[in-house]
Amino acid sequence: MSVTTGNPYRIYRITWVILLLITVAMLAAEAFHLPRIFLIVFLLAFMMVKATMIGGNFMHLRYERRSLALVVAAGILVTSLILYSFISREFRYITERLSQ
Amino acid sequence: MQAETAAAHVPALEAHWGGGASPFGATWQKTMMWIFIVTDGLLFSGLLCGYGFLRHVSPVPWPRQSEVFSIPFIALMTFILITSSMTMGTAVTAARLGDRKRALNNLVFTIVGGLCFLGCQAYEWSHLIHEGARLTGNPWGPPQFTQAFFVLTGFHGSHVFSGLVILIITAIRTGMSKTPAQGIEMAGLYWHFVDLVWVFIFTLFYLL
Repeated sequence: MSVTTGNPYRIYRITWVILLLITVAMLAAEAFHLPRIFLIVFLLAFMMVKATMIGGNFMHLRYERRSLALVVAAGILVTSLILYSFISREFRYITERLSQ
Repeated sequence: MQAETAAAHVPALEAHWGGGASPFGATWQKTMMWIFIVTDGLLFSGLLCGYGFLRHVSPVPWPRQSEVFSIPFIALMTFILITSSMTMGTAVTAARLGDRKRALNNLVFTIVGGLCFLGCQAYEWSHLIHEGARLTGNPWGPPQFTQAFFVLTGFHGSHVFSGLVILIITAIRTGMSKTPAQGIEMAGLYWHFVDLVWVFIFTLFYLL
């Protein structure tokens, strides 16, 4: 892990402020009842920004080797898609069996 | 030609995947911690995928979260967890720089934040149970709604609890100068992971 020059704790404070601002923006979007499709895109985009900031700055993934960051991010994302397809397939199979 | 290309890739592959003491340029402790975090992330990924699918196929309209939960209260919980992540990051860096006092202070702040979060979650659970929320049903519509709520927040809360146990042990050992900087970093990785999971639960379950 390499630490940036200057105040080494500044990165955490900046990240904290940005995360709070994003959270407030997400709450405002929910409170103002944006059109559903805009709300989904807006919230999912900000969720990914928050996750990237926590992973990169708090968990120091930005200082690690790129292969490690790829294994963590791509591994979870790809497996989530596979999991979703399995869950939907198995759920339909079980409900069909129960209805017979 | 293909054999030459394959041969040219061998050194690069060995550099990244050839094993040895540090295949990712990290210590084995950190590599193992990341492997654990990925597998634990897949657990929550499965739970969130299951929640998404149950909601998608629910024959009964899904309740509006803002009518069931106090969103400002959930926002307060999010604020507490994000703040505890900031203090945890500070503790990790302070330990790396050899500032034991600052590391210990921030570890204690993180523990207090975790305890506040768990207290808020206990209050939220007791409030909803008092209003009739059960694993088998609820007054707001589909039973899957409270099933997903109790399973998702319950699993996350159990992770916060185990994170707190790890942090308390780490803080005590840091106070006795027995924890190396890497020990605090490992505890920090786990705590940030708990925060990361909450980001997904907060967005996907409480807001969308």
